[in-house]
Amino acid sequence: MSPRRHRLALAATLLTAMFAATSYGLPEPPKESPSEEAEGCLGCHEDPSIEVAFADGTRRTLQVDRNAFAQSVHSGKVACSECHPGFQEVPHPERRFASEDEFRNGMRQACQTCHFQNYSRYMDGVHHRVAKEGGPAPSCVDCHDAHAVTPPGKPRSRVSDTCSTCHSDVAEAWAKSVHGRLASGPKPDDAPVCTDCHRSHDIQDPKTQAFLLRTPETCAKCHADAERMKPYGLSASVVSTYLSDFHGMTASLEAPHAEGTNRVTAVCIDCHGFHDITKVDEPGSKVMKENLLKTCQQCHPDAAGDFPSAWLSHFEPSLTRAPLVYLTKQFYTLLIPFIIGGLVLQILLHFWRVVVNR
Amino acid sequence: MSAHEYVERFSTRQRIEHLFVMSLFIVLALTGFPQKFYDAGWAAAVVSLFGGVPQMRVVHRAAGYGLLFATVFHFFFVLLEVVVRKARLSMVPERQDFKDAIHQLRYYLRLESTPARFDRFDYREKFEYWGLVFGNSIMVGSGLVLLYPMLVARYLPGELIPTAKIAHSNEGLMAFLVVITWHVYNAHFAPDIFPFNKTIFTGKISKHHLQKEHPREFERLFPEDASTETAAAPPTAPPPAPARET
Repeated sequence: MSPRRHRLALAATLLTAMFAATSYGLPEPPKESPSEEAEGCLGCHEDPSIEVAFADGTRRTLQVDRNAFAQSVHSGKVACSECHPGFQEVPHPERRFASEDEFRNGMRQACQTCHFQNYSRYMDGVHHRVAKEGGPAPSCVDCHDAHAVTPPGKPRSRVSDTCSTCHSDVAEAWAKSVHGRLASGPKPDDAPVCTDCHRSHDIQDPKTQAFLLRTPETCAKCHADAERMKPYGLSASVVSTYLSDFHGMTASLEAPHAEGTNRVTAVCIDCHGFHDITKVDEPGSKVMKENLLKTCQQCHPDAAGDFPSAWLSHFEPSLTRAPLVYLTKQFYTLLIPFIIGGLVLQILLHFWRVVVNR
Repeated sequence: MSAHEYVERFSTRQRIEHLFVMSLFIVLALTGFPQKFYDAGWAAAVVSLFGGVPQMRVVHRAAGYGLLFATVFHFFFVLLEVVVRKARLSMVPERQDFKDAIHQLRYYLRLESTPARFDRFDYREKFEYWGLVFGNSIMVGSGLVLLYPMLVARYLPGELIPTAKIAHSNEGLMAFLVVITWHVYNAHFAPDIFPFNKTIFTGKISKHHLQKEHPREFERLFPEDASTETAAAPPTAPPPAPARET
């Protein structure tokens, strides 16, 4: 930002603050407790017929569910006027909104006052970007509700339910996946929900390189954790074996340069799938031996013959698995110290004889 | 015999080959090691220098092809020289080289009073030459497998590809370590050489150095000089301590 624009922005901020101060009055310490104030507001707002009309002809109810609000995390802690400043006077000063969208966008600012960090994360996320471009995208209250605000991850399945409001196709695929079935099973807390992989506020566009090259890191949160994998009989070295192979090495090196959507290497989801991910031994699994060649061909159309064996299926090479790789590795583990040690010893001997002990 | 009299040791072709392989070696190490040590901070910095891994790989592969051609041309020229000019194969290891190596080790341990008397190329030079030849073959061969994995797997077991990766990665590391210890010591830091043995760049070696480092070649090239030297200092007497000169 140029200094000139910087000053303009500062001036605009100050003017807005002054305007806010004069039009709404400076926030005075509430005379009533939050719950007392809420009682006053609910006196009218419990009525389902209370509505607001927008300039575009649409209407919206202004009813607040007493019980839902009583159970919210804000109940008794946050006064109505903290989120709705300027409405203490009754009757409220008249305000005009072009549409429901404008009404809701104005309300979003209210959350920022206390939840500044999550608010600014949201500003970095894909939902805010879509909203800014005029597309349909949720803001705070669409996921958290306005008055019935309760801990979003309790129970954890609630997160997926929330997202499925808009992303129903994804939710359906996920529910059938190995992760989705785990979430509806006896140990739902072991299952990853949407936000575990996509994050909650600063959600990134999943088609970008920046997001995709971070998938090994994302999957590693659970799949590199031996304790978590033990009850399921899964290997915790899947990430390290991926990273040390050609694809993983490329992903590690490319991550800082990730730009746009051009693919440079395969990450976890390219072979395993993502929302519809299955167990590796399930029929239809993309990574089953019988299906592997087809999976390789997604990126390597010329792949044929024994090409899938080039990938060691997350196994560490051993005498039984990939013996040629194992023996080559062992050979160099012995050869390098032998050769280099021998040469350095000769150098030292030469130096000692020629200089010190001539 | 003047210390400033020079003899040609390396032909123009050999000097160009050294310069070419040296440059390729540096480029290959610079573009290869970030891929081996992918999680090191400096690896990311080197990749940034090239603007990304795909760009760095283009450079690595081009240099690899350069090394392939350098190796092929080298053998082609050697063959030409042997057939047309009837040149001597001075790099082929002989029985004498093993004797020399043992003699030299005994000299280091004070079991011999004089160092071994080498011919045109001593056992250390031959070791490095053949190390480079074998190393290059492994690097070029495994590099081609890694560059064309689909073609390889069409006819051969797919396991060859990760094998080639292990071989390429380790052989490259070994070559680099040999160069920065052995080669750099012998070309720069050895007490008689320090700071720099320019012969491979200029092609010239002083008669003095030739006599000291390759006495048997010197005797073949300058029998008269050798006999006068021998007259002045009979072989039974211990040779003068190696003089340090630049």
